[in-house]
Amino acid sequence: MTTSNTQGPQSSKTIGVLALQGAFIEHIQHLNRCIEQNSYNLKVIAVRTAEELNQCDALVIPGGESTSMSLIAQRTGMYQPLYEFVHNPSKAIWGTCAGLIYISKEVSNEKDLLKPLELLEVKVKRNAFGRQAQSFIKDCDFSSFAPGVHDFPAVFIRAPVIEEILDPKHVKPLYSLDNGLIVAAVQNENILATSFHPELAEDDIRFHDWFIKRFVIKQ
Amino acid sequence: MSEFKIKSGLAQMLKGGVIMDVVTPEQAKIAERAGACAVMALERIPADMRKSGQVCRMSDPKMIKEIMANVSIPVMAKVRIGHLVEAQILQALEVDYIDESEVLTPADWAHHIAKNEFKVPFVCGAKDLGEALRRIDEGAAMIRTKGEAGTGDVSEAVKHISKIRGQIQELKKELKTEEQFAQAAKEMRVPVELLKSTLEAGKLPVVNFAAGGVATPADAALLMQLGCEGVFVGSGIFKSSNPERLARAIVEATTHYNDPLKLLEVSSDLGELMSGQTVDGIRQHGKQLANIGW
Repeated sequence: MTTSNTQGPQSSKTIGVLALQGAFIEHIQHLNRCIEQNSYNLKVIAVRTAEELNQCDALVIPGGESTSMSLIAQRTGMYQPLYEFVHNPSKAIWGTCAGLIYISKEVSNEKDLLKPLELLEVKVKRNAFGRQAQSFIKDCDFSSFAPGVHDFPAVFIRAPVIEEILDPKHVKPLYSLDNGLIVAAVQNENILATSFHPELAEDDIRFHDWFIKRFVIKQ
Repeated sequence: MSEFKIKSGLAQMLKGGVIMDVVTPEQAKIAERAGACAVMALERIPADMRKSGQVCRMSDPKMIKEIMANVSIPVMAKVRIGHLVEAQILQALEVDYIDESEVLTPADWAHHIAKNEFKVPFVCGAKDLGEALRRIDEGAAMIRTKGEAGTGDVSEAVKHISKIRGQIQELKKELKTEEQFAQAAKEMRVPVELLKSTLEAGKLPVVNFAAGGVATPADAALLMQLGCEGVFVGSGIFKSSNPERLARAIVEATTHYNDPLKLLEVSSDLGELMSGQTVDGIRQHGKQLANIGW
């Protein structure tokens, strides 16, 4: 037993993408393209069960409907494993759109059916811009935190925003729109949240690559 | 193009989810509580429309508005095929998605709505690849199988998804020369570039849901295993004896569609299911809705 070398220097890390409901395949495809192009020693899996979650070093919670995701997690016994996983500081966590809502500490509206994971110390507002009629795409300059990403097509679909940062010591806004609404934030060194969808940027893996470098392999 | 990304993007967010037909705000709340990723607001569910034999139109916007006010998930509503004014009205109401649906009585037997001219996204039914690509070419940002609405008989939906996926695989092998591509595109009445990019990707360029006749968790999982990316459930839920329980079970079956143990669990003890009507019986009376639209 002492000769086991399964955790040797070559061991790869696993990024899970929560696959209860929503656009998880798009995240898996973007992450896999980053891995192929850069030969990262990483693998990506879809996570529907606690067993799958246990294999992961990082977890992406995708866009979708936050109520669906939250209710399915509760009913299928995933809430507690997810809660423990995301609160483990050795894990990297990224929530996009519904994923941002799901990891937040507080939701300010339309929250009756939600049981969030209470990780990100912010108050978030659902459907903050309105309905689908108010969904939009905006070219954003993220170069202040993601080197070289000057013109990223950020897709906002019935998107939430971070209304208030509850713990300014540990949560830093990364990007705000012209009207001051916070749409990206980081907590400590391991938690990322975006109200837009980098996984919908066609043929553009720069944001996912930045997530991998900064949060998963910590280059 | 970026406009289309916003339309198709919402459908991407609905994937792996269940969209339920509802006729009242109370039903909408039951659906939301069961984990539906969206609801379809209707005056009558397809099973009742079938029976009525009457003209079926867009629902009263007042009723749709009440449903929109009562749930936080996206709300869809149906318009008649070709009825661009009903679509203009629902766009003004700001519904999240419009279903140009063969379940309602068509307003135009020659033309579907020019959906590219709208800001609101559209979902349309299809029973084969050509029909799906024609709707996408017109601007549909999401496709669903037609199935046979209001029957509780899943066989037509199975036929349609198998046909669409089968044709993609076949044509991918068959079509080699430019002439062959041009001929196939001409037969389907679609631009050759759209056919080419679809075959290259091996799937439709927009999200493809199942619809029409889904009545049980096993039906939902079957269609997911056959390659659908999510499920519409119409009459099945609120025609059963315990709608809330069945709705939840279908939601869970859609997430865990590949896990027989989970499917066993959610399929058990659901009470009386929709009794339904076989497609074969309807066919004999010439009342198949899937034959509406072209």
